[in-house]
Amino acid sequence: MKKEQSIGMKIWTNHYFRFVLFGLMLSMLVPAVSGGILKTSFLGIVGGTIIFTIAALGLNILLGYSGLISLGTAGFMGLGAYISAYVTGDMGLPWEVGILAAVLIPTAIGILVGLASLRMSGLYLGIVTLCISEIFRKTFDELDVITGGFSGKSANYPTLLGMIDLNQKQTYILLVVVLVLVMMLTYNIVHGQMGRAMHVMRGSQVAAQAMGVNILKYRLIAFALSTGYASLAGALYVHFIKFVYPSTWTLMISLTILAIIVIGGLRSIYGTFLGALVVYAMPDLVLKRIPVLGDINGLPYVFSGVLIILIILFYPKGVVNVFSDLKRLFAKLTASKSSAAKDEVPNDVG
Amino acid sequence: MMSDDPTGAQRTYAATEDEVLRIEHLSINFGGLKAVDDLSFCIKRGEIFGLIGPNGAGKTTVFNCITQFYKPNEGAVLFRGLSGEMENLVGQKVHGIIRKGLVRTFQNMELINELSVIDNVLIGAHIDFKVGGFSQALRLPRAVKEERAMRERAMRALDFMGIAELADAPMGGQPYGIRKKVEMARTFLCQPKLIILDEPAAGLNDVETQQLAQSIRDIREKLDCTILLVEHDMRLVMNICNRICAISFGKFLACGTPAEIRNDPKVQVAYLGEQEKED
Repeated sequence: MKKEQSIGMKIWTNHYFRFVLFGLMLSMLVPAVSGGILKTSFLGIVGGTIIFTIAALGLNILLGYSGLISLGTAGFMGLGAYISAYVTGDMGLPWEVGILAAVLIPTAIGILVGLASLRMSGLYLGIVTLCISEIFRKTFDELDVITGGFSGKSANYPTLLGMIDLNQKQTYILLVVVLVLVMMLTYNIVHGQMGRAMHVMRGSQVAAQAMGVNILKYRLIAFALSTGYASLAGALYVHFIKFVYPSTWTLMISLTILAIIVIGGLRSIYGTFLGALVVYAMPDLVLKRIPVLGDINGLPYVFSGVLIILIILFYPKGVVNVFSDLKRLFAKLTASKSSAAKDEVPNDVG
Repeated sequence: MMSDDPTGAQRTYAATEDEVLRIEHLSINFGGLKAVDDLSFCIKRGEIFGLIGPNGAGKTTVFNCITQFYKPNEGAVLFRGLSGEMENLVGQKVHGIIRKGLVRTFQNMELINELSVIDNVLIGAHIDFKVGGFSQALRLPRAVKEERAMRERAMRALDFMGIAELADAPMGGQPYGIRKKVEMARTFLCQPKLIILDEPAAGLNDVETQQLAQSIRDIREKLDCTILLVEHDMRLVMNICNRICAISFGKFLACGTPAEIRNDPKVQVAYLGEQEKED
């Protein structure tokens, strides 16, 4: 059917190409900030959005594709942040080692949670993951030899390969590169055998088993990926914000990430970024600038709460579907116009 | 394992060559209820075999015992799969059954609405993917090659069912008849030795049922497999089955050709008699 594509069309529909293009668009922020078109604070906001997108992509694999809930994303993000800060700071090891340790250790713990998850689902799984997250947070408070306790822990911008010291703008570019890689990885995973196995595990456990899908194995994969993404996001966070407090990693962060994928669109990679933009960046960029209303404390939470209700009630596919719906609407409008034009032609049949 | 076999299943391991599935003294209880009681029958290679019985006879329970969704209390389910040897399925993992060459369908189809039609079919090839997860995640050439080969196979399966043009359509919103066809394609994609169909004609009209009968025959011919049919629609069963086993209240009634079953007084009392009164 689609064999007659031109080379240009082939490149345009290539997903890698689109992700790279997306990354290039995000990188445009750096010259915009350097040139004085946008404020420097934009860098921090969009960088934060990227970090939240990475964590939310992991939750999207877990919740969107596999149908398993986790309210423990914040705990794993924090764990990643602290491990990377400790390994690069106190132990003096390279940034690459830090990030590797910060991803692998939480992922291993995530697999253990996955093992426990086989016996429960839904609300109960939510509660258990929430408890695990709170245990982590309490540990960040108490284990001050490693975490610095209440006063927090600082870290530096990454030093690549032990020699290239990055500044904030370059770190931002690094975030974009990691995001693009994570998006590609996610795309490959969810569009292959693994993604289908996760789909069928969510849609019908009996069908999954009958088709030879090992439920335990795929639950573990889903948990490993989700905690791996979350801790990667945490490790990037600590080297971008340069500071980490225990009080950051509360339930609020986990719920924000949940809000991101619900609002942006379950099972959508670009939707996850869009959701992060709406939930994380919108309050800082737009809401706080509204007079009077913007001064209300906690307005962002009200905003995302109301948005979640509206989206679930009226637009369950998420904000990302606005584009395809608009496209369809446009096609419909042009089609009805042309058919209306046809009707004006005298009709000799009827 | 060889000693102490109260059901006597062991002696039948040397079953005759042409048997594909042999149910031996199968029993399962739910609380006090004996849903299946000492049931035995066997299916020969290349047969279309029907399992019939009135509502609540335990057909689906037998079905679930064969596919290990339920663990029978007693008895053996002997299956000659891809390995060529008769082996007992009882106690095996549910997701391992398909690897033996035994695959089932569902009454309510259990398709995934969020996936496209062809992706739903590809789920049936899950066990045939050999490339590991890391290669898939990095989209290495061999993963791409395998995915493409599987897609072509799924395309042929859809073509066989006559719905190739729907390959990229979303599953959600497809009409019932199409969904049945997609499930059928998903089922035979892994080239099984035995296909168990759970009430395939449920909810189909007469024309669709006739098409179904034809495609069941075609699948049997083309794939050289055996088919076990659990069905309410007597016309379909009488029409396409080589042999039929009738059960009632979990107990064996009779086993034989459609004509024999039709004329069996026990079956008439338990099943066909009632059916005629209802009509």
